[in-house]
Amino acid sequence: MIQKLPLFLATRELRSDWLASLCFIAALVGVLAPLLIILALKNGVIGAMVGRLIEDPSNRELISVGAGTHDSTFFETFTARPDVAFMIPATRSINTSADAVRNTAGRKVERSVPLIPSASGDPLIDGEVVVAPGQVIVSQTLADTLGVGVGDAVEILIGRNVDGRSEIARTNLLVLGIVPKVRYGRAAIFISLSDLLSVERFRDDAKIEPDRWRDTQPDPPSYASFRLYAASLQDLEVLQRDLAEMSVRVRPRAENATLLLGFRKNLNILYVAVAVLAVFGFWAAMAANLRGMVERQRIAFSLLDLIGLPQQARSMIPIWQSLILVSLGILVTILVVLPITVAINGFFQSADGAFVARLGFADLGATLVLGLLTALTASIWAASAVCEITPDEVLRHA
Amino acid sequence: MSDNVVHIRNLGIKLGSEFAVIIEALDLTPGEVVVLDAESGAGKSTALGLISGAIAPSSFNGSVHRLSGLDVHQDLPRNQFAGPDRVGFVLQTNVLMPYLNVIENIQLPMRIAGLSPDASWADHLIGTLGLAPLEQRRPMHVSVGQRQRAAIARALLGKPELLLLDEPVSALDPANSAQVENLIQILAQDAGCAVVLASHQAFRGAFSDTRRAGHRSMNLEGVSYSVFSDDPSTMQEDAT
Repeated sequence: MIQKLPLFLATRELRSDWLASLCFIAALVGVLAPLLIILALKNGVIGAMVGRLIEDPSNRELISVGAGTHDSTFFETFTARPDVAFMIPATRSINTSADAVRNTAGRKVERSVPLIPSASGDPLIDGEVVVAPGQVIVSQTLADTLGVGVGDAVEILIGRNVDGRSEIARTNLLVLGIVPKVRYGRAAIFISLSDLLSVERFRDDAKIEPDRWRDTQPDPPSYASFRLYAASLQDLEVLQRDLAEMSVRVRPRAENATLLLGFRKNLNILYVAVAVLAVFGFWAAMAANLRGMVERQRIAFSLLDLIGLPQQARSMIPIWQSLILVSLGILVTILVVLPITVAINGFFQSADGAFVARLGFADLGATLVLGLLTALTASIWAASAVCEITPDEVLRHA
Repeated sequence: MSDNVVHIRNLGIKLGSEFAVIIEALDLTPGEVVVLDAESGAGKSTALGLISGAIAPSSFNGSVHRLSGLDVHQDLPRNQFAGPDRVGFVLQTNVLMPYLNVIENIQLPMRIAGLSPDASWADHLIGTLGLAPLEQRRPMHVSVGQRQRAAIARALLGKPELLLLDEPVSALDPANSAQVENLIQILAQDAGCAVVLASHQAFRGAFSDTRRAGHRSMNLEGVSYSVFSDDPSTMQEDAT
């Protein structure tokens, strides 16, 4: 019974002094609601932008700049790193295109088509489709232009000039899959490294005859370029730095990804700073308010001591009041903020269905925990003031 | 002496460097009534606070403070010696908890002590004091006299062994004063309480025929002592 009395007395006083309680709750809602709305917007806007970046693997690509000399150790080292999702050697950029690609019916042609080396784990290729020599995966754009689909064949034409004489190597390649436009928008062919090396050798070595250009050759001791994808957006910066230390120049395909990540980090810091200042301000106001409530009820607290309510139970009264007021404040805040976030999302409806304002259970749970901690700590001053009130005060009250 | 509700010797407090209130000797058996009759400012309320243990005493030689056979000292929690079945206190200012209604105020000391009131006694008490129609009202919605009756009911609900009354009718008009004093006297008798009444008006009310404790003022070494005593023996003082 005695354990329940402080809660009973605390609620009775709050109910009796309902106007002051209401003002207290309104003050909390006034501080907390804008903070939660800002948090919801931060989560929604930045979350959606980062989400889009993460969903598109192209944003995790580091593009090799210029030609280098990368041996097998270089590739083994980077492929083994956990922050590397995919890496494959590539030829010099001058050799990574076909002069023309056409469907086997020969009526539709696309000229200067990029040749992209691909292998198992290529983040632009869905599923388990892996190109082998003689096979390709074409981009949707190219497939549309040529009117080809999976199972069809395409013919690629590789041209060179030998002593003023034009020579063309050609071969039919089986279409194994289509890369959707969201993954790769332009016309391109994803080809095996072996076939890409054949293209380079044909262009570089006049001794290779056009009708034997795809004959098997030993692997080269080094490669001029590579395709590299980081495991996550956060890994881009580290990879770029490590490669720069090896004098290997790269640039992120999505320059804004790094900027956005930096922006998100700074925005988080800014939000935490604003929240800390606001919570501290409210904490101070709440502590002073609770202390004032004790002072207003000084004689009542003295009477409680006189009629035998132990000190611990008396000091629990402002603590309970603080917890009740803050809990109600948070509840009202949530009831106010949730419809506002729904309205914001309705007003700024995005095409892809992403929410502009978003509050998760973790955000609300953290708000509740932080609020209750604030309530507890803010009531310490009031609780200690209660302990200093003695029963003789009510005797001398007259 | 073991039957005494109150047994006090040289219990006092120094209030500042120039004034002290001392209860030199006070013994009360169940049902006994004594009046502390002295002029305003003599320390009657302080004396009641000392008796109840609400005011921590200063150290004096030969100090004894025993309530219902229990030695009262500062380390003893109040609820062990001043529960509603041991001490009831009616204050001059009829202070009630402002956010509780009348019946909740009356029952509060019993709830704190975890005791259940005797239902028939509660009915008798509340009925006699005319509080039944006011039970659900807040203190601010009843008169001063009604608040004082509620305070009396609160003090008596646990049938305490000792009832301390601090100028209980001083805030009331004369007609109300006589009525309330009569009610206190009757109810205290019904409850079997020993009563200590602090009043400078007791000579004309229901307690006019009651035994009075002696009071004298004395000055020793620049300190003014206000001494209450049932016993004419000399005060033994040694301020430490």
